[in-house]
Amino acid sequence: MRATASAPATTRPIFIGPSLTRVTVVLGGGAILLLSAMVVAVAIGSVGVGLGDTVAILGHRLFGLPMGITVAPGAESIIFDVRLPRVLTAMLVGGGLAVAGTVFQALLRNPMADPYIIGTAAGASLGAIAGLMAPILLPALAIGVGSTWLGLGLVQVLAFGGGLATVLLVYAVSRANGRVPVVTLLLTGYAVSSVLAAGVALLMFFSGQHLGAIFGWLMGSLAAAKWINLAFAAPLLVISATLLVFRWRGLNLLLLGDGPAAHLGMDVEREKIVLTMLATLATSTVVAISGTIGFVGLVVPHVLRLAIGPDHRLLLPASVLYGAILLALADLGARLAGGIPVGIVTALIGAPFFIWLLRRSRMVRVVVTA
Amino acid sequence: MTPRLRRPSTLLFLVSLLLTACAPARSGSPSATTLPSVSVAPRVPAHSIYPLTLSDDAGRQVTISSAPTRIVSLAPSNTEIACALDACDDLVGVTDFDDYPAEVADVTDVVIGAVVDVEKVVAADPQLILAAGNELTPTTVIDQLTDLGYPVLALYPHDLEGVYNDISLVGGAIDARGAAEELVTSLQARAEAVATAVAGADQPRTFYEVGVFEGSIYTAGKDSFLASLLSLAGGEPIVGDAASTAIQLEDLISADPELILLGDASYDPTITVESIAARSGWADMSAVRDGHIVVVLEDLVITRPGPRIVDGLEALARSIHPERFP
Repeated sequence: MRATASAPATTRPIFIGPSLTRVTVVLGGGAILLLSAMVVAVAIGSVGVGLGDTVAILGHRLFGLPMGITVAPGAESIIFDVRLPRVLTAMLVGGGLAVAGTVFQALLRNPMADPYIIGTAAGASLGAIAGLMAPILLPALAIGVGSTWLGLGLVQVLAFGGGLATVLLVYAVSRANGRVPVVTLLLTGYAVSSVLAAGVALLMFFSGQHLGAIFGWLMGSLAAAKWINLAFAAPLLVISATLLVFRWRGLNLLLLGDGPAAHLGMDVEREKIVLTMLATLATSTVVAISGTIGFVGLVVPHVLRLAIGPDHRLLLPASVLYGAILLALADLGARLAGGIPVGIVTALIGAPFFIWLLRRSRMVRVVVTA
Repeated sequence: MTPRLRRPSTLLFLVSLLLTACAPARSGSPSATTLPSVSVAPRVPAHSIYPLTLSDDAGRQVTISSAPTRIVSLAPSNTEIACALDACDDLVGVTDFDDYPAEVADVTDVVIGAVVDVEKVVAADPQLILAAGNELTPTTVIDQLTDLGYPVLALYPHDLEGVYNDISLVGGAIDARGAAEELVTSLQARAEAVATAVAGADQPRTFYEVGVFEGSIYTAGKDSFLASLLSLAGGEPIVGDAASTAIQLEDLISADPELILLGDASYDPTITVESIAARSGWADMSAVRDGHIVVVLEDLVITRPGPRIVDGLEALARSIHPERFP
């Protein structure tokens, strides 16, 4: 098995780095796929707008090109105000979740790690649901519910803050003698998440007419995507994802274990906290605008590791690209299936594919060492 | 075990996703001819009352720039209000749950399986959208449609008075005040007749069964529309939790209903007088002992807050006080 893992034809020792051809194929191909996925996802929807019209509208609104042809004005609104922000949100969310998942899997050396594992999801869920129910819980707060900043209402702000605060708490609790052992971090995250999940369940029990909204939020949805939300999410996600992509060296070293990484001259605890906070920032941002969408952050890193190997120099940017592609297409499927939650589509189509890939590879290259 | 194939398999996955995504795409009519601008260009106002600013049931201020001739309804009760005001022909989008009046069957469904298809709403090019409050139309959807520039009126009546108000509100919005006033007056007269008919009668403790699912019993919630309707029909409603509308069996037994109305029998033929009496724990209720269990087949109009709500009120009054309606 070990021999297979480092099969000479495709997998080089990780510190030599991927070949230029490999980078071109994976990232260049990914970029082309991403653009194609974007056009396809924007062109298709429950109301038919021709591909030519779609391209003309996008060219006109994005690059100021003359329209050339006359399209129905409603079509312009559907493409530019309804579909495009939703597709771009899907891409940001997918890319953010996939890169955060890649980081957490390597950081925690745990194949079951996903972006939510150390408490982001539980904290964000409790925050969002408290926000949804604010008018019931505290009538005084209801006045503030309608007001928004960058399109962010109370729900989004509390989700964002809840996710970040929970991870900070988990990290602080796990810390002993200046170190944060991985196992302690995982178990503390689990314990804190359980407490918060109990709070979520309690609120849901008393939620009445808000139950549907809460359920939809927990399933994750991109239906409410709008341009103004992107003004908040896009900068945070681009910055955190970019910084993460450039920390590939640290992640490759951490795969060896905390001890060996430290022996190789790395400030392990500092690297871990920087990675955790960047990945949590990305995750909390995503969760604030889309709810807790599952599966993407868990499986995209695994699929890519099986396909292109565990070197984070290539794996991190690839996870951004392919996570974005996957979620844009999955959301298209969700829209066409009558607006079902996107998490259902990712799991229904993605999980069987993942099983197939696992079986034909006959090995789980989880967070494989070289 | 061919590592070389790993990358193609990833591509295969993405391609298969693409195909899956494309397959159900209906290359339906782009309805290109009927899609004017969203930023509702103010036309020459047909009446001096426009632009008109109204306050809806969610307390939102909604401005309507001209007499709407293209209306989308996001709830069956709203559809019925529009049609009762003679605006059925102006409906360009309704829900897949709409069944009354029959002619709305031909109107495009923009709400399918309780999910609002925002694209279809935009394609319908509405000048007025009638949404439902209380999260029946999710707040996120109302916000999204408002952001897209449409006037969205959220209707959420809490009682009969609220339905009258909503009829007047819609009447004001579509410039049909006269018709609205006429309709409200006739509904009020009928409700008044019911009140007169049941006046002075004993008010039986009445349990209205909305449904029983997995052992949970659902009825009229505390302070709900249904509870107020039961009172108006001459009953004393036994109510459940205000939020969940559920009542626990022991609370129901201790409330001891004198009359059980089976609203769920409207949809489920297995709900019968006999099946209720056979439920464990129910035999000791006065209503069951005395055989005061009534199948109600009008649940749809009893629970739909449109103009036919008075039909529902009349049906309830007849069920509770048959002696007063010879």
